[in-house]
Amino acid sequence: MRKLEVGMIAVLMMLSGCGGASTVKTGEKSKTHWKVGMSQCNLGEPWRVQMNSDIRTAAAAFPDMEVIFKDAQNDTLKQRSHIEEFVSAKVDLLLVSPNEAQPLTEPVAKAHAAGIPVIVLDRALMGEQFTTFIGADNRKIGQAAGQWIVSKTGGKGDVVELKGLMTSIPAQDRDAGFREAIRGAGLTIVFEADMKWLEAQARKEMESALARFPKIDVVYAHNDPGAHGAYLASKAAGREKQMLFVSIDALPQEGQSYVRDGIVNATFLYPTGGKEAIYTARQILQGQSVPRKITLQSRVFTKENVDRGGDPIELK
Amino acid sequence: MTAILKKPAFLASAEARAVLALFLVFLLGLIFNGDGAFLQAGTHRDALRQASVTGILACGMTVVILAGGIDLAAGSILAFSAISFSIFAIWWAWLPFLAIVAAIGCGLACGVVSGSLTSGLRIQPFIATLAMMVFARGLAKSISGGVKVSTSLPNADGTYHSIQLPAIFRQIDSRFAGDNISVVTLIFLMCAALCWVLLSRHRFGQYVYAVGGNEEAARLSGVPVGMTKIAAYAISGAMAAIAGICQAAQEQQGDPEAGSGYELTAIAMVVIGGTSLTGGRGGVGLTLLGTVIIGYLEKILSINAVPEANRLMLTGVIIVLAVLTQRRGGRGA
Repeated sequence: MRKLEVGMIAVLMMLSGCGGASTVKTGEKSKTHWKVGMSQCNLGEPWRVQMNSDIRTAAAAFPDMEVIFKDAQNDTLKQRSHIEEFVSAKVDLLLVSPNEAQPLTEPVAKAHAAGIPVIVLDRALMGEQFTTFIGADNRKIGQAAGQWIVSKTGGKGDVVELKGLMTSIPAQDRDAGFREAIRGAGLTIVFEADMKWLEAQARKEMESALARFPKIDVVYAHNDPGAHGAYLASKAAGREKQMLFVSIDALPQEGQSYVRDGIVNATFLYPTGGKEAIYTARQILQGQSVPRKITLQSRVFTKENVDRGGDPIELK
Repeated sequence: MTAILKKPAFLASAEARAVLALFLVFLLGLIFNGDGAFLQAGTHRDALRQASVTGILACGMTVVILAGGIDLAAGSILAFSAISFSIFAIWWAWLPFLAIVAAIGCGLACGVVSGSLTSGLRIQPFIATLAMMVFARGLAKSISGGVKVSTSLPNADGTYHSIQLPAIFRQIDSRFAGDNISVVTLIFLMCAALCWVLLSRHRFGQYVYAVGGNEEAARLSGVPVGMTKIAAYAISGAMAAIAGICQAAQEQQGDPEAGSGYELTAIAMVVIGGTSLTGGRGGVGLTLLGTVIIGYLEKILSINAVPEANRLMLTGVIIVLAVLTQRRGGRGA
């Protein structure tokens, strides 16, 4: 009963904004057990499953740290309530990979104002009301893929671009960066299609490209399943050896496996930042200062280097 | 006015009208042939292969719609069965035959549950199968652990190793008859033939048409209405499972997100073919034509690299046109 009363008073204090939250926080700081909330926007994508798994693996090394996961299933309002639930559960730190910037900026700002440090992962929020942002730069990774293709082909050839869902920012950036990199070289994008990140769709579009163009030199897919689908289509047409397959994400069980099996020629890591999030979280919880923005580095995986974990790439 | 709109005699049957719609789509393909891509045999083989998975769903959907129901769960059951099949065949290395039968069993079981909810508990088909749609998707995600079931398996240290893909995957995704017909297309045709036999050459078919035409009259004339409905959903579930196996074979993995939205394409295929959504009128032969119409439409848009936004708008317009072509002429309109 007493516990309930204390809890209710704490909630009332937080609601009335009389600084109760910060008192609670200093109280928890003396504890040796950290409770971290992780609000994931959608676990439908393998890449985000990987992010959660990276977080879980990294946190498992620290017995004094507990991570609670919530999956908003692509629903922005659901994610908003998850963030609010974490605030009322008084987590020591909040990790959030937001579904959308605009509608989630305010709930995150409120959590931050309540004294909870917030690490934003992968997709940015507006304003400054969070502790730090950890993410990679899709545009630069698209550029790196373009530069790799230019160097491998000598800048000549016909390219098929299989794009991710083009209403999403990552797909737009992977497209824009790639085009910047190949501009001026002799590469021509002869066929482009929105495969919506889906393998089955990529295979369909690639079959159309193969039917239309007797000569295709490069397939650039915005994700690993896209390149895999394109490879299967080309293999069925007996033309898979005539072209390079390049993709982004380099998930261990997808892109890296495909490179090892000789399906994809190069895949570029789009890091999840899961491990970095946990290390940064510990620094924050131990009272150290962290940078406002941490940009993750990409790596390129090819047949030659996949077994030693890929090579870092110079992002120009 | 009605005299002008009245269709000529040769368009009296639904089949003839579906063939006309297909002919118009073909004409579209010949005009917008994507630099001659439409004229290649491979394009037609691929168009038919691509339409096959949703086509198989549409066969099962036809049976349910004829019985006066609807099956929104087909796409999710596809995913659940694709995952089950991949787990049985890849992870557990079962014999291909056993894996296929067990996966079909999974789909069939889902269908029986949907059917029992509608006929036993009297939940409306739309709601019962909506519930199954959500549930089966959850089941697919749960048994796969939320990841794709593929030949790449995790090691203890977080890295991955690959195992051999079972031969059955490549066999289903292969071609025969001088590389001109996909096995998946053959499976689709066999499913259509099976449904046709059940609907046209079997007492079960009479029951289905009777229940879909007038449920009360069917009940009074001694038709086992409940069992007929359960059987219809069970067939749809089994067809979704076969589609799931084909999907998994083509992707060389089981994807818990596979097939989402496919049920709507399947319903469109059934309706464009000329089967009535109110039940009791139509047939699986019409669905075959509807499947080919939608399949070719997608292919024509794809070889012309039409941007996504325009593709969606054009598909909407063409579905309306196809249904208008399909509508009964004269007074029947």
